[in-house]
Amino acid sequence: MNAQAELHDMPFDVQRIRKDFPLLTRTVHDKPLIYFDNANTSQKPAVVIEAVDHFYRETNANVARAVHQLGEEATAAYEGTRRKLARFIGAGSPNEIVLTSGTTHAINLVAYSYAMPRLKPGDEILVTTMEHHANIVPWQLVCAHTGAKLKVAPITERGELIVDQFIEALTPSVKLAAVTHVSNVLGTINPIAELARATRKRGIPLLVDGSQAAPHLPLDMRALGCDFYTITGHKLYGPTGTGALWTRKELLAEMAPFFGGGEMIREVRFEGTTFADPPHRFEAGTPNIAGFVGLGAALDYVESVGRARIAAYEAELRDYATAALKTIPGLRIFGEAREKTAVISFLIEGTHAHDLATLLDHEGVAVRSGHHCAHPLMRFYGVPATARISLALYNTRDEIDRSVAAISKVRQLLA
Amino acid sequence: MSAAVLYQQVVLDHYRKPRNRGSLDGCTHAADGVNALCGDFLRVEVDCAAERRIAAIRFSGEACAITTATASMLSELVRGMDEAEVALAALRFERVISGAGEDASLGDLNAMAELNRHPSRRKCAQLAWATLRAALAGDSRATTEKDDP
Repeated sequence: MNAQAELHDMPFDVQRIRKDFPLLTRTVHDKPLIYFDNANTSQKPAVVIEAVDHFYRETNANVARAVHQLGEEATAAYEGTRRKLARFIGAGSPNEIVLTSGTTHAINLVAYSYAMPRLKPGDEILVTTMEHHANIVPWQLVCAHTGAKLKVAPITERGELIVDQFIEALTPSVKLAAVTHVSNVLGTINPIAELARATRKRGIPLLVDGSQAAPHLPLDMRALGCDFYTITGHKLYGPTGTGALWTRKELLAEMAPFFGGGEMIREVRFEGTTFADPPHRFEAGTPNIAGFVGLGAALDYVESVGRARIAAYEAELRDYATAALKTIPGLRIFGEAREKTAVISFLIEGTHAHDLATLLDHEGVAVRSGHHCAHPLMRFYGVPATARISLALYNTRDEIDRSVAAISKVRQLLA
Repeated sequence: MSAAVLYQQVVLDHYRKPRNRGSLDGCTHAADGVNALCGDFLRVEVDCAAERRIAAIRFSGEACAITTATASMLSELVRGMDEAEVALAALRFERVISGAGEDASLGDLNAMAELNRHPSRRKCAQLAWATLRAALAGDSRATTEKDDP
């Protein structure tokens, strides 16, 4: 039996996992840190921090230009992450992966390179009520430029997409659909494979915002069947400023460059320029090389723990946290989809989310409060803001118990 | 320790039992303060009929503890002031929440000095001031939100 398989057979040892994340040992306001803001950004394992550090100490050079040894090593490390990403998400080839600064960049790339030149007045882009602003605003910019219109597929009170209505909304005028895989506010996991079957049948490209899914769910692009998929590195235990766009080779080949500059060209003359093949055509300028080296280490780390094991452990945490929170009188949870990740948005009657978050911070508990970059979803629920707990593989039941005690204390203080 | 100090007894007392909450029959000036990103809404009504001084003030709305408590404390402080005196008191309050130390002229509002350590919550305490000043200046709306992503 190889080492990896052996590890996967062992019970999930969260205390061992916690030792991999140096930041988790710090205190906040003299209390041990309880980091419950993972949907915002995750903490980084030592292997990621060390990979970035090692890159700058030993390998630093620009990519794809220098013929010297350092340049070769830097290029190999950078391209290595592209290959790892391709494996990580089940892409057909590393050449289907464009490295970006994150999901926002990836969606904007599709908006400007794919949608902008194609859409016309009368065309429509279909999104859902639960989208993050990053999957709304770029499409509004496309609409403003092309005369197309944004159309919204509704959700239920539980926070589930109404699939029938989504499919009904796929009329001939819809030229692109853009849906989040996992809601950053509700944790809802959307049935992407089912949606993709409907969009493919009608020849409508489907973009999936995978920002909140990639850190928590096993991914296989061939099984999902969507056309564009976006990744955010810093939520996936990697450095900030890293991410990716995956798309089919055929689509990538049809897309015009978005940024122009170095590294994306084949030959430049003042009369005109020929461009490099995808994916490099879309990577003008010097990228966040050290960041992508770190992201490569993060992917290795997640694979070494095992994504199925992570998902199973996080599901346990989600169920436990949900049950524990429900014991608090007056607490309302937003988003109770049957399929959801360990993201729990809530409010306590008579308290404001910001008061809650500030007071929980005093207890060492880091939660997000606010609109979570999802104004339309907040409007749907008729609240200005919620507090949000989002869990990761290093969180524990004990942390949930201590947080619930802290929330009860805050509730008594404010009520 | 700062969150406990921020939500100290006097703040919680003003939050739970706000002074001068409600509306005025026959106000001379009024404005709505809206921090849309937080969802805070504060309406301030004042009666300045006599010598342009605040004879009565009421506030209403839905907001967090810091916003509500500041509005309550402010409502006690500004009675009898004219627009110029309110402007000076607002400046003094800004100094207090920016870490300049307590100011004896501000009474209970000194409890907000701790906002020095919570920059992201300062806009909450500023809303009542901005709304009152807008009302006195003849503007109908105020906000203290700038760039919140």
